[in-house]
Amino acid sequence: MSTQPHILVIDDEAQILRALRTILTAKGFRVSVASQGEEGLTIAAAQPPDLVILDLSLPDMDGVEVCARLREWTKIPIIILSVRESEHDKVIALDKGADDYLTKPFGIEELLARIRVALRHSAQTLGSQKIQIITAGPVTIDLALHQVTRNGEEIRLTATEFKLLAYLAANAGRVLTNQSILSHVWDPAEADRVEYLRVYIRQLRKKLEEDPDHPCIIRNEPGIGYRFMAED
Amino acid sequence: MIWEYDFRPEVIIITMMRLNPFRRLRPFRGLEYLLAVLVTAFFTLLFLPIRSPSGQDHTILSQLYLLPVVISSVLWGLGPGAFVAVLSFLALNYFFVPPYYTLLVHQTQDLLVLIVFLGVSITIGQLVGRVSKSLAESQAREREAVHLYELTMHLSGLQDEHDIISALAEQTLIALRARRVDVLLEAHGEMSAQHVRMEDRSRPDRKQDETPTFINPLQSGGGFMGEIQIWREEVPLGRAEERLVSTFTSQGVTALERLRLSQTVSKARLLEESDRFKSSLLSSVSHELRTPLATIKAAVTSLRSETIAWDSEARIELLAAVEEEADHLNLLVGNLLNMSRIEAGALKPERSWNSLADIVTGAIERMRQQIEKHKLEVDVSADLPLVPVDYFQIEQVLINLISNSSKYSPEGTTIGIRATVADGDMLQLTVRNQGPHVAEENLERIFDKFFRVTAADKVTGAGLGLSICKGIIEAHGGRIWAENLADGFAFQFTLPLSVEGFTLVESQEIADE
Repeated sequence: MSTQPHILVIDDEAQILRALRTILTAKGFRVSVASQGEEGLTIAAAQPPDLVILDLSLPDMDGVEVCARLREWTKIPIIILSVRESEHDKVIALDKGADDYLTKPFGIEELLARIRVALRHSAQTLGSQKIQIITAGPVTIDLALHQVTRNGEEIRLTATEFKLLAYLAANAGRVLTNQSILSHVWDPAEADRVEYLRVYIRQLRKKLEEDPDHPCIIRNEPGIGYRFMAED
Repeated sequence: MIWEYDFRPEVIIITMMRLNPFRRLRPFRGLEYLLAVLVTAFFTLLFLPIRSPSGQDHTILSQLYLLPVVISSVLWGLGPGAFVAVLSFLALNYFFVPPYYTLLVHQTQDLLVLIVFLGVSITIGQLVGRVSKSLAESQAREREAVHLYELTMHLSGLQDEHDIISALAEQTLIALRARRVDVLLEAHGEMSAQHVRMEDRSRPDRKQDETPTFINPLQSGGGFMGEIQIWREEVPLGRAEERLVSTFTSQGVTALERLRLSQTVSKARLLEESDRFKSSLLSSVSHELRTPLATIKAAVTSLRSETIAWDSEARIELLAAVEEEADHLNLLVGNLLNMSRIEAGALKPERSWNSLADIVTGAIERMRQQIEKHKLEVDVSADLPLVPVDYFQIEQVLINLISNSSKYSPEGTTIGIRATVADGDMLQLTVRNQGPHVAEENLERIFDKFFRVTAADKVTGAGLGLSICKGIIEAHGGRIWAENLADGFAFQFTLPLSVEGFTLVESQEIADE
């Protein structure tokens, strides 16, 4: 067995497959490609990859369905590729178990960063050891002690603020949809009350960020949700 | 009148109740003759006491007896009038011409009086009856004219087939005092594609679903359009009323034809406009797409060329150009998509509560490369109230405005973005630059499709960006305009803070423990 991480790319555009295969191979990954959903699922079953890059528009089946079928048996990270105009599909795919997304056209540095985060996160979930202390810039969050400090000074958070921050930080680097945040931190019945989330995010940013108007720790994912940016 | 609406698939029942039922019962003919007998009897009883024993006063009485004849003729017309004349003749003879209580006449002059009376009374009765009949006829004609006028008034300006047939059914119901009127329209060979039913529930409902009393087709030059069905059981329709129905239906048909014609015309005009739009879009876009493609192709082919040895700086420069143009193409495709949505009337904002500061930050992030050579001043506080908007559409507006500002203002100058709360229920956003002024008369026109202030070859762009901004902002219920500043130029737009009457109240949101 090779120690190189195995990445499966499922996309129907030959040019994208060619480019990704070249770039990812050069970056030291082992790459398999599939241009159709069924083909991708077959490859995934035969040689389980460490990560799947999945395009949402496939000729034979819906990318969301591929995502759901993969999730029936594996927890490997799935990164979705899609165009900007299909936010709705993206949110569905993320709620169906995809880990992250990228909007076409994307820069390759961005893709590599997402791959790194996803692989690291899956290594953490597979290992039993859970990270309890998360750092992001000047901010340190101790999940076990319920303690948040900024430049060493303790920051007082309300219970809801802490619950929200803890959920974001525990999923550092990954995109979280508004709906999943709302149903985790509040209640599934409140999953469409985006305005709650907006207000609490604003409060958190005021307490954590150097410049709340240009947030670096809690980043927006337009139309999708938020992403907590931890130290690498 | 009280209107009740009862919606069923394609059949609308409108029930008319009359608070003040105006009915003219036209009972059986015999009643009038019976009344005529009663009137004659009444006057006879009235005259009996003034009968002199000598019996020589019947010449006066013969004149008095003209009274019931005239009354009956006026009230009930020719037939009863003549009938009363004969009755009066007999009563005069029986009660007042000696010998009394017999129809015998002894004296020749009495006979003469009686005969003259009969002749005169019948003649007067006929004259009076004819006058009142022609009066009634002219009144009926006037009513007809009034009904027709009412119908024409109701039909004029109606822009919907259903409204037209409803008006037709309603006016027919009123004019004929019918119990029920149905109008059916045929479409695609299927009868009752549209069906309107009007009922007057103040009338006794005899039997349900029986056959109509009268049916008239809606016949146009183009063929059969449908039919009108009338239920009026009490009195059958007279010839004048049938004529009225056919006049009514022809008015209805005219209105329907006018509507269909104008719909065809406007559809054709719309198609023509959209055709013209598509061809100008195509010519504008093909130019606009080729420019960045040319740059990309040139840069990539030169990088691949083995005859040139590029130093690393030149290589970086060329690659930056490729990336910039790729972003440019992506932006253009986004604008094209929005434009086609606006044109198709399919641009519906997917609203959710968003922070304008987030949107502005996102837009600037995406425009970073394009505005590298400008200074940027942003004053959009995260504490501004949340706005119910479509994130991506408003981001597209900002990107277009920023892109426009950077294209038309010199390098090194400042682009400013500022948001404030205006009038308490609006957010107002300003994107200003230090670019040249736009002539006052063009300030509105710059938001038109394909409108360009400068010659097309000086600045790239399809002339779509600002018209898309206008489409998006207006779909959000806001307003967008441009103005010249002392030291530059500014775009302004407003966004309502409430949607469908729902406003976010800050004190309610932060109900934290």
